[in-house]
Amino acid sequence: MLKLTDIRRSYRVGPVATEVLRGVDLEVDAGDLMSIMGPSGSGKTTLMNIIGLLDRPTSGACLLDGRDVSGLRDDELSALRNRHIGFVFQSFHLLPQLTALENVCLPLVYRGAGRPEMRRRAQEILERVGMADRTGHRPDQLSGGQKQRVAIARALVGEPALLLADEPTGALDTDTADEVMALLRRLNEERGITILIITHDPSVADRCVRQTRIRDGRLFEAKARLSGLAPQRSGADAAALPAP
Amino acid sequence: MSRSLSVLAANAREAADSLRKARLRTVLGLVGVMIGISSVIAMVSLGEIAREQARKQFEALGTDILVVRKAAHARTAAIDLPDAVQLAAAVPSIVEAAPRISGHGIFRFAGRQVGQGSIQGVTRSFASVIKLSMREGRFISDLDTDRYYCVIGAEIADAMRGEGADRLLGQLIEVDEVLFTVVGVLDRNTESYTLPVRVDADKSVFVPITTSQRLVPDPGIEVIVARSHAGVHYQAAVDDVRSFFRKRSPDLELDIVTAKELIARMEAQMGIFTLLLGAVGSISLIVGGIGIMNIMLVSVAERRAEIAIRRALGARQRDIRGQFLIESILLTTAGGVLGILLGLAATWTICRFTGWEFLISGLSLASGLGTATAVGLFFGFQPAHQASRLDPIAGLQGK
Repeated sequence: MLKLTDIRRSYRVGPVATEVLRGVDLEVDAGDLMSIMGPSGSGKTTLMNIIGLLDRPTSGACLLDGRDVSGLRDDELSALRNRHIGFVFQSFHLLPQLTALENVCLPLVYRGAGRPEMRRRAQEILERVGMADRTGHRPDQLSGGQKQRVAIARALVGEPALLLADEPTGALDTDTADEVMALLRRLNEERGITILIITHDPSVADRCVRQTRIRDGRLFEAKARLSGLAPQRSGADAAALPAP
Repeated sequence: MSRSLSVLAANAREAADSLRKARLRTVLGLVGVMIGISSVIAMVSLGEIAREQARKQFEALGTDILVVRKAAHARTAAIDLPDAVQLAAAVPSIVEAAPRISGHGIFRFAGRQVGQGSIQGVTRSFASVIKLSMREGRFISDLDTDRYYCVIGAEIADAMRGEGADRLLGQLIEVDEVLFTVVGVLDRNTESYTLPVRVDADKSVFVPITTSQRLVPDPGIEVIVARSHAGVHYQAAVDDVRSFFRKRSPDLELDIVTAKELIARMEAQMGIFTLLLGAVGSISLIVGGIGIMNIMLVSVAERRAEIAIRRALGARQRDIRGQFLIESILLTTAGGVLGILLGLAATWTICRFTGWEFLISGLSLASGLGTATAVGLFFGFQPAHQASRLDPIAGLQGK
């Protein structure tokens, strides 16, 4: 579903070019629940931005559903993000002036859905994440865990192929973090949603089926556990396989 | 529903929402535009009302008026009284001609001063050309030649009543120490400031033109006020009058002013005046527009995270640009509507004090709203463009 080959990304600050990603190979299959763990500064956010089509690699190929995204225009990338990728952020990034329901509607607005349909689907997905009774609340009236649930609902409302979560529990206390992780696992197991979690927290990474680590700009497969939903595959194998 | 329509509708809803929950900054920006638009509306409306007013004064008097004087500069001959009197009969394009000799005098009744003003030597036609109306008695007639009869203005009549005259007709009034019999009293007449000749009827005594020649120091014809046929072009009438006098008195040079020419000149001037007023208003509008731009720039800077989130969720650059443009247009249009109301209120107030007739000019309303939208579009574009070009990665990281 997603295949990265020899992704490199360097930043130029004045005359000095710093290479943050030094040849990342990664293959994500439909139904994966996968973590990318690494210390800060290891390049995991840069990798997430590239996977999320917010940033372009300096070199390397990025295939989404078999389609090379490197040559696409900004508008096309926006449309791909809208249809194929759902974002969950550490600090939730809900729009404060909108209600939970309106926040969840946003991806559908940029897809051109009609208003009644948008609201119906947003309502549905909010129910699924356990926020049915908070649809009219604004973010400042919600707790951290509730905000993250709304954010997850927003990421899922457009039925994306890939849910991309950047430190989804980073701003939450342990209990709430557990709840959110449980929700993500449930969504993965029950609905087969592909989830990629970026974290520096080993306890979060441990709860993922597939675990990778990023160090010095390279990605390593740390653990691939046998699971009925997520096919086991080593990093080396994944890089060698052809695009699905 | 098409994609862009759906985005547009959502943007408009949100913009209206944020306007409703307007913060002080937004309100101030709105007031800026409101003042700009209202001054444009007030200025342009007042210009148009003033022009309409002037046109009406002319039309009340008739646009077919010609004012004939001997040229001020040259060593020209004088206008001959018999020629002046015959003008209307001899020139087919002229309906009526009213020559006037004028001087200044002190008026006494029963030994008491009852006014001072102009002594106007006129013929019968003067009253009809200038449209003076009578209150009592009659105006000077052709049969009054050389007689010491006079017609008095309303203020002098009031003063005479104040001195105990209960019947005015037949009373004797002393005009520069010469006694005249009052044969007529004029109604109060409002002076038309647009007429190229001063009458000031309320303070004047009108006497037969032949009599006035013995009375005033300068017995030459000061002016002939003539009225041309309605169907005749004013230039043709002017040419006819010139050629008539050229035949009668070759050394005479004339200055002729026509009402139509004055109207044309006045309209041109008023046009410039309106334009100038509009320009003054526009300056305040530009200031308002800069205020809007400032607000929008601050808003874009404050909402970098929001813009980045929207981009991550699939908003294209043009969606973001549209969102901010709609906000600024909505802001200026709301300011525009309020400004139109304020401008009309200001115009109405000024009209009340000046006694002008208040009218709403559709042109100024349309241009007011149009300008407000244009200001929003123009001053909102740069901030909106800037918003659309923001880097979503930096916005998401709060940088």
